[in-house]
Amino acid sequence: MSKTCIAMLLAGGQGSRLYALTQDVAKPGVPFGGKYRIIDFPLSNCTNSGIDTVGVLTQYRPQQLNSYIGSGQPWDLDVDDGGVYILPPYQTAGEKGSWFTGTANAIYQNISFIENFDPENVLILSGDHIYKMDYAEMLREHLNHNAALTIAVQQVSLEEATRLGIMSTGGDGFISEFEEKPAHPKSDLASMGIYIFNWQKLREYLIADENDPKSSKDFGKNIIPAMLSAGERLWPYRFSGYWRDVGTITSLWDANMDMLSTTLINLYDPAWPIYSRSPVCPPHFTGESSSVVHSIISEGCEIYGRVENSVLSPSVKVGKGATVLYSVLMPGAVVEDGASVEYAIIGERTVIHQRAHVGSEPDGSESWGVATCGPDIQIKEGAAVPAGAMVYTGEEV
Amino acid sequence: MNNYHGIIFAYKSYPELRELVAERTAASLPICSRYRLIDFALSSLRNAGIVDVGVIMQRDYQSLLDHLGSGKPWDMSRRTGGLRMLPPFGLPAHHRGDYSGTIEALNSVASYIEDIPKKHIVLMIGNLCANINLREVCRVHEESDAEITAVCANYEPDVLHNRYVVGEDGYVMQVLFDRIGPSQGSMPALECYIINKDTLLRLMDRCRALDKYRFHQDAISMFLREGGKMGTYIHRTYARVIKDVDGYYAANMDLLDPANRASLFPASRPVRTKLESGVSTYYGTEATSKNSLVADNCIIEGTLENCVVFTGVHVGKGSVLKNCIIMKDGVVGTDTRLDYVIADKDVTFSSNLAITGTQRLPIVVPKGAEV
Repeated sequence: MSKTCIAMLLAGGQGSRLYALTQDVAKPGVPFGGKYRIIDFPLSNCTNSGIDTVGVLTQYRPQQLNSYIGSGQPWDLDVDDGGVYILPPYQTAGEKGSWFTGTANAIYQNISFIENFDPENVLILSGDHIYKMDYAEMLREHLNHNAALTIAVQQVSLEEATRLGIMSTGGDGFISEFEEKPAHPKSDLASMGIYIFNWQKLREYLIADENDPKSSKDFGKNIIPAMLSAGERLWPYRFSGYWRDVGTITSLWDANMDMLSTTLINLYDPAWPIYSRSPVCPPHFTGESSSVVHSIISEGCEIYGRVENSVLSPSVKVGKGATVLYSVLMPGAVVEDGASVEYAIIGERTVIHQRAHVGSEPDGSESWGVATCGPDIQIKEGAAVPAGAMVYTGEEV
Repeated sequence: MNNYHGIIFAYKSYPELRELVAERTAASLPICSRYRLIDFALSSLRNAGIVDVGVIMQRDYQSLLDHLGSGKPWDMSRRTGGLRMLPPFGLPAHHRGDYSGTIEALNSVASYIEDIPKKHIVLMIGNLCANINLREVCRVHEESDAEITAVCANYEPDVLHNRYVVGEDGYVMQVLFDRIGPSQGSMPALECYIINKDTLLRLMDRCRALDKYRFHQDAISMFLREGGKMGTYIHRTYARVIKDVDGYYAANMDLLDPANRASLFPASRPVRTKLESGVSTYYGTEATSKNSLVADNCIIEGTLENCVVFTGVHVGKGSVLKNCIIMKDGVVGTDTRLDYVIADKDVTFSSNLAITGTQRLPIVVPKGAEV
């Protein structure tokens, strides 16, 4: 059976700039915004856009991600003639199998998977972006313009443009030029790393690219420039909604704080729900002495202390006299009585013991940063973790 | 494969639950911010590995059907067995009224029970708020030579209930019917039983022949009179059978106590319920929340004190809610004061209202009302 469009989600990246948070889990599996993990956003966008077949390419530390995605049921992706498929690198008979060597190579290695569905178009997504997008609308533009490739783009400041892939358009509106991290950007349209390819075209370019020993097998560096220079029709799909790359500690913390504002991105919109695999827990409880202001609290939390401007995942405990300010607490984190957490990200199941302190408010100095504790760490009674610190699992503090 | 099959009685409405059961039975009453009452029976069964379960219903079961779905949240969506809805199908055409007793309800699905390929049957009521360790009850049942094991509570219910007088050998000697308040030398029944399938079928047959259908007064009394052995198991953590508005209100308020929550929601035996799409709850810049239970997907901009708040509720700025239960998708405008109010699903309170009930008589606002 032929499909109009299937999605391939690149979820193999280690996310090395998230350091302690991605020691045991690939970046798309990192908890986000209370109830979610980063990958919930592209998966929910697929379901809400009517795309029912998603291949998830995994490579780095895939166990947690595999069990999180499971049958795909939380995202309604447990369908009979499609659904969600986990695609790790594999070996074939007689050939030496290999790790994915680049984004394009990851798709190349799964050509036979894609062919099973005989799709007309393939949507390429990455697993480290927070946004709500109707891919069906992007697909409509792609088809209307009879494009070989449609790239989602967003207007950015010229300063930001120097760090991104920048598109220039010609008089006909099609993309005329593409520059990766230009020193002097000619345009302010940045690629969001979301592509819809005509599958036959993509297949052709993937095979050619694979046979080029000099290529780094990357969409941005190789495939797109090759298509441009061959004169293919590349259409920019302009997207003006909320979109954030959460590849660094600061951007992850920032984006979590954005969730506190319904004007930036509204997660409460019933027309575009973001789904997640929910743990089984009772409702959250706020005790007699608690104070919760401008914060997101998830089920299973027990709050007896003060929580402000913070994002709490399920089953977080905040003890009596404890303070949590401008922080992100991942599932099962515990802040014991009298402890404080400020401007920090606390990993899953990590315990901040009594009267310990993690992070501090910005002091204007160069060295200041968000303090981060990885998962399953015990911060000892009375200990102090300074601003900008990075505590790894297994370390003693 | 274990040797147990579950039957849940979910057909009763109880008139003292008033507006709360206008469109549902007691078993599908929303409770504790995100659950339905029947979740406790289903989860107790599931956590003991009993996933072949029949739910007996008679009328007003739309909300129950919607909640149960395929039984997936309780792992009861199985290739063989699993969850079975049992609306009436064995009743004579002239039968109009309610089931005149548990035994009649069982007789209405007699062919289903006859076909159960298991040795023991667990009978539970759908309106019991308790997390019963059925694995233990099963063990006790198997280690005794009793044909029936009754689960008793160590609390004193404030509603009519049946009690058992237990002899020195640990077996039930006598049933005391429709008691209220404590009485020495007896224990209240939680209406949860393990009964051998053959024993149950025999009692159903005998009762039908006599045209008597009450479980305790007729079936159990007959069983004991004839020298049948009935053992007991004492459930020592939180339990409450919900039959009226007071009990419903009290059960919700009980759960504000961390000790009660710990006994109802032990990590080793989680209470499962229908999946909701998950967004966390947002507390606004002027929000206050004390001693309250709040589900996901709410926006709280006002004040909560001693409240139980369900999914999707929005409390506007300046509003103060005390001692209230606000069910799913309730909306409270700005600067409204509510005290001792139970708002059913989809109730909208406009701004600048003041509604005050009392602990003895909480105000019940019916489903979908606009106040």
